[in-house]
Amino acid sequence: MSQFPLNSLPPDSSALRARVREFVAANLPAGWRRNSDFMSGYDADFSAKLGAQGWIGMTWPRQYGGGEHSYLERYVVTEELLAAGAPISAHWFADRQTGPLLLHFGSEIQRERYLPSICRGECFFSIGMSEPDSGSDLASIRTSARAVDGGWLVNGSKLWTSFAHLNQHMVTLVRTAPPSDKRHEGMSQLIIDLNGDGVEVNPITNMAGRAEFNEVVFTDAFVPRENLVGIEGEGWQQVTSELAHERSGPERFLSTFRVYVELIRLLGRTPAQHQAAAVGRITAQLMTLRRLSISVAGMLEAGQTPNLEAALVKELGNNFEKALLEMTRQAVPEQGDRGAYEAAYIESLLLSPSITLRGGTREVLRGVIARGLGLR
Amino acid sequence: MSTVTVNDTLLLANDTLLLDSADRLFGDHCDQSTLDQAAAGHFPEALWQAIVTNGFHQVARQDSGVALSDAFHLIRVAAQRGVPLPLAEALLAARWLDSDGDEFLAIGAVGTDGRATLPWGQRAASCLALTAQHTLCRLDTTAGSQTKNLAGEPCLIVDAAQQAALTTDDNPLLMLALAKAACTAGALEKTLALSLRYVQERHQFGRPIASFQAIQHALAVMAAEVAAARQATDAAIAMLAQPRLEFEIAAARIRCAQASTLVAEAAHQVHGAIGFTQEHALQHFTRRLWAWRDDYGSENYWQQVLGRHLCELGATDADNIWDFIATRY
Repeated sequence: MSQFPLNSLPPDSSALRARVREFVAANLPAGWRRNSDFMSGYDADFSAKLGAQGWIGMTWPRQYGGGEHSYLERYVVTEELLAAGAPISAHWFADRQTGPLLLHFGSEIQRERYLPSICRGECFFSIGMSEPDSGSDLASIRTSARAVDGGWLVNGSKLWTSFAHLNQHMVTLVRTAPPSDKRHEGMSQLIIDLNGDGVEVNPITNMAGRAEFNEVVFTDAFVPRENLVGIEGEGWQQVTSELAHERSGPERFLSTFRVYVELIRLLGRTPAQHQAAAVGRITAQLMTLRRLSISVAGMLEAGQTPNLEAALVKELGNNFEKALLEMTRQAVPEQGDRGAYEAAYIESLLLSPSITLRGGTREVLRGVIARGLGLR
Repeated sequence: MSTVTVNDTLLLANDTLLLDSADRLFGDHCDQSTLDQAAAGHFPEALWQAIVTNGFHQVARQDSGVALSDAFHLIRVAAQRGVPLPLAEALLAARWLDSDGDEFLAIGAVGTDGRATLPWGQRAASCLALTAQHTLCRLDTTAGSQTKNLAGEPCLIVDAAQQAALTTDDNPLLMLALAKAACTAGALEKTLALSLRYVQERHQFGRPIASFQAIQHALAVMAAEVAAARQATDAAIAMLAQPRLEFEIAAARIRCAQASTLVAEAAHQVHGAIGFTQEHALQHFTRRLWAWRDDYGSENYWQQVLGRHLCELGATDADNIWDFIATRY
């Protein structure tokens, strides 16, 4: 069964927290509407300023531009940026996924080439996994990489790749060998230049009217050998080894946080019973999810791989993010200046279907948990 | 609101030796027949004697040498093992009466009708009650009537109108409420364990029902709820010395109540009809989960406490809202 040891943030994290707040207050773009969803603010200038503060790649080795800070310090910075609703989408995947991937599996050349510029907030990555016919069943991908002199020719397409129309690179899961009985073999991760020949990026507008994710089509796109991450054929193991990092962070329970803040502002000092109850219920869940997330951060810091615990945090957090919208809807007063609340609510509601899809659907996550419980 | 930093310092040092030996003792003395007998109204004398012999009945006293946080964890372990006694109340009564005797002590709550309901009060040497004003009083239990509560415990009902006040440095409501959260966390873990075992043993359509995706997902949701309730409770216990204790307890009670509703429902669903019988162990735990949601402050009461606090903070400065979540004060 799962075990979440209680964990405290380091005593000196208050000072770091205060610095992040000051920074956000001084650097939010003029007229910026705060949104705590990690996908809801792409601003390369803001990312560069964060990089200058040393808040990208915080846990990475200094030799690659990192700060050698703990996961718990990174946790503090991340939750402060999310709670403040700052625009952090540009560097998000490079910071959370690509950096750790390259540190574990990348070549020395790749680390030196990409990590320092990621830390400066200049180099941004997308993640290319899903395809038109491969979503939850990721092992069924068909995008192929055919070996040629000096590298591969890639053909196929990736879908739902966030910010591929803005980022420079994409870590792409491809088949370097045809499917076999062992369906998790024969896949590899390649770094693909999104501005290169044979790469076409087609933005897809989501139901909120925003173009954040894309279709990326490869037609004989040449990828040099040196862009292989890790070992050829072991892409699946590499992809799944990092899941605990991406499933348990504060982004898994803060996506709709601003709606809760606006509700409380609207309610004022004298909420009715059912309104206070809704705020209390949401607050209890927020407090608990934050503790669980910090617990997992502590396990990561200790070098463990808490995949079950991370899946549990995502299950709880994502369901809560959606439930929050319904709880606030039931509690919102008829009177008062509802403008800020309604703007936040509508924006979050229109984005909410993605919450239990991205990073592994709710159904996939429950399967992961069931496996961890010994049921499959 | 000043943002005095209290540090997120938690009392984490659990006395694992104490908790392990308590766990063994409770496990040895709480078989199915003990639970059934208690539910039928027979006080578990052998279990109580074993508790006394090991000194567990005094762990919450000021001079016990046991950290108060560990007393709450012991209460959790007892509930996980199904101890069919209001042990939490017995421990806190010994603390507040400063009793070093071996007698069983009971605590109840005074209802809106001015009468106190005391689980196992008929067997207690002394009884206390939490008043509507959240203070303590001593009760004279010579005259009372009998009933049974939702958890299945026999209760004594007595008039609490003319009783002697008992003062304590503790906030009795908070201590009792936290004790119920600890009980709930323990009973939730047991309910999950019973369910995990049952779905792997029970075969239908020629295979264990655990192999069906619908069952797997039900258990996954239960496991997530249990983990959340346990974490919220552990956090509140670890914050015993912090000024925001009341709100940590409110959060724990809300989270435990929410988990109880969902886990009890799902546990009965995966157990099928057998879990709905008196002979099956599940009902001992689910009845308690249902009852404890609203003991010593209902789920709604604690939601009000926490919700009104946040509204007050937010009305002063909206930035206070995140500060509170991030435990800055």
